[in-house]
Amino acid sequence: MDQNNGLSELGRAIAELDEAGVKTLVQKRLDQKIQPEQIIRELSAGITEVGERFRREEYFLSELIYSGEIFKNTMAILQPLCKASVDAKHKAVVVMGTVQGDIHDLGKNIVITMLGCAGFSVVDIGVDAPAQRFVEAVVDSKASLVGMSMLLTTVFDAARETVVAITQANLRDKVKIMIGGSVTNENVRRDIGADFWGSDAAAAVDIAREVYP
Amino acid sequence: MNAKQRIAAVVALQMPDRVPVGPLLDHYAATYSGYTNAEIMMDGNKRIAAVIKTAIELGPWDITFLADTANAVLLQLGVPILLKLPGRDLPVNSTHQFQETEFLTPEDYALLERKGVLPFMFTIMGRLNPKWKGLRGLPPLLKTLWEYRRHVSMVRAKGIEVAVGFIHPGALYDYFSLGRGITAMSADTFKRRNAILAASKIWSKGMTDMAIMSARLIGVPRVFIGMSRSSPEFISRRNFEELVLPELEYTVNRFVAANIIPVLHCDTNWTKFFDLFKRFPARRCILELDGRSDIFTAKEILREHMCIMGDVPATLLATGTHDEVLAYCRRLIETVGKGGGFILSSGCSLPNNAKMENVRALYEAVQEWGWYS
Repeated sequence: MDQNNGLSELGRAIAELDEAGVKTLVQKRLDQKIQPEQIIRELSAGITEVGERFRREEYFLSELIYSGEIFKNTMAILQPLCKASVDAKHKAVVVMGTVQGDIHDLGKNIVITMLGCAGFSVVDIGVDAPAQRFVEAVVDSKASLVGMSMLLTTVFDAARETVVAITQANLRDKVKIMIGGSVTNENVRRDIGADFWGSDAAAAVDIAREVYP
Repeated sequence: MNAKQRIAAVVALQMPDRVPVGPLLDHYAATYSGYTNAEIMMDGNKRIAAVIKTAIELGPWDITFLADTANAVLLQLGVPILLKLPGRDLPVNSTHQFQETEFLTPEDYALLERKGVLPFMFTIMGRLNPKWKGLRGLPPLLKTLWEYRRHVSMVRAKGIEVAVGFIHPGALYDYFSLGRGITAMSADTFKRRNAILAASKIWSKGMTDMAIMSARLIGVPRVFIGMSRSSPEFISRRNFEELVLPELEYTVNRFVAANIIPVLHCDTNWTKFFDLFKRFPARRCILELDGRSDIFTAKEILREHMCIMGDVPATLLATGTHDEVLAYCRRLIETVGKGGGFILSSGCSLPNNAKMENVRALYEAVQEWGWYS
């Protein structure tokens, strides 16, 4: 382990966005019969460091997304080798979707990447998602947090209807609702009846940590 | 002063008789004039009728866009992304929307280098719209340019100046980011830097040539430059300075040499890069902000350098009260407009569901508080 930052060589490789280095080091560890769970822990520590650098504004979305891709590609190799699914360990589930009438997925996907890097399991219900799809996803996943993304002022009504549908399904006291997207603000949150407004993807992670302390 | 003189004065960072007003008009023209969004996107005559009606009755404004960003032909020709159109893929009164897919490949950087800009654009246009494969996109492109020229004359006859004579899609990084998708482009930023830089040289020259030719043909000496995915929300300062800024400097300097005013249309938050904009020639550019950047900081940093245009937020126009919009416009006029160098506008497009009285408030605000003399 590197005593300076607490990261292993593998953790440091992913934090430095060294895709080839990550690949080589993972293979080396597998050849050494190191348990996949241990390798994943090292990778996760590196991803956490990426998140910290993002918060310190040393890294930007492109670094964040690229590290997420390296992590995802590596997990595709490691996960089948794990005794138990890593996902099963996550109880912190967030349902994410872009509300009905809006097919923009960029903002939603950025939030999903950041939540994934922070260790949350995300149920992505896609774009143009009707209220009932949000309700069904909450019921199926038992999520305590729902994120609604929107980029158009014309979908505020649909967002409000989604909150109403969640309430009518008797889920409102079990689930917190956050909204985000360039057209949203605190007034829109209040008007729609959501619990949180996130001004950017990092704020969404803070909200998730508040809901899942 | 007329509209043209007011624009010349604010670009030169001088005080005109009053602050000019020019919201970014596209789909809202349909809302206001009673057409469907599908109609104004597909029918040039209805589009220009809607633009003129809106710009006169809710003003008259000094400047108007020709709803370029609601022109189905221009969007299909110029934006490398899957386009969902009202009346075809969406309800007739929806705004158009983009569906982000990874349809440009890593090999397309080299393809652009080999083919050059226009043949490359026709190639990828054919991928998105098979009916425009080969050179079949050329006739609608030429027809649209001539239609644009005619629309400029119609608008000027009403005493209103047209905002821009060409929509430049921006640096290669921004253009490819739409076609590659943000995930693939983020990886390319680190894995394919040389490919980006090599293609960027071809792109900047070809696209700048095309923009200058189009602006001259159409007779509007201003060109919109799209800037979004290369903002500090997406990439680091180092990546911007290495992958994007040299191309922007090349394009802006060539426009200025051709007596064309670059309109830097900055979507998302660019505040952290404002200081870099001092590299562009002073008193020759317009910086157009969408409500995400800090327009007041822009004034502090660029007051001696660049005309600022913006930025009444879409959400305020759609959900705010008339008094709230007036108060924000007044703050803009009195702060960003202090000493000149300011155009009052919306933050990016007027939203489809903006309240009519809120849109009218922009003109009311310049009449009430915007006079310098």
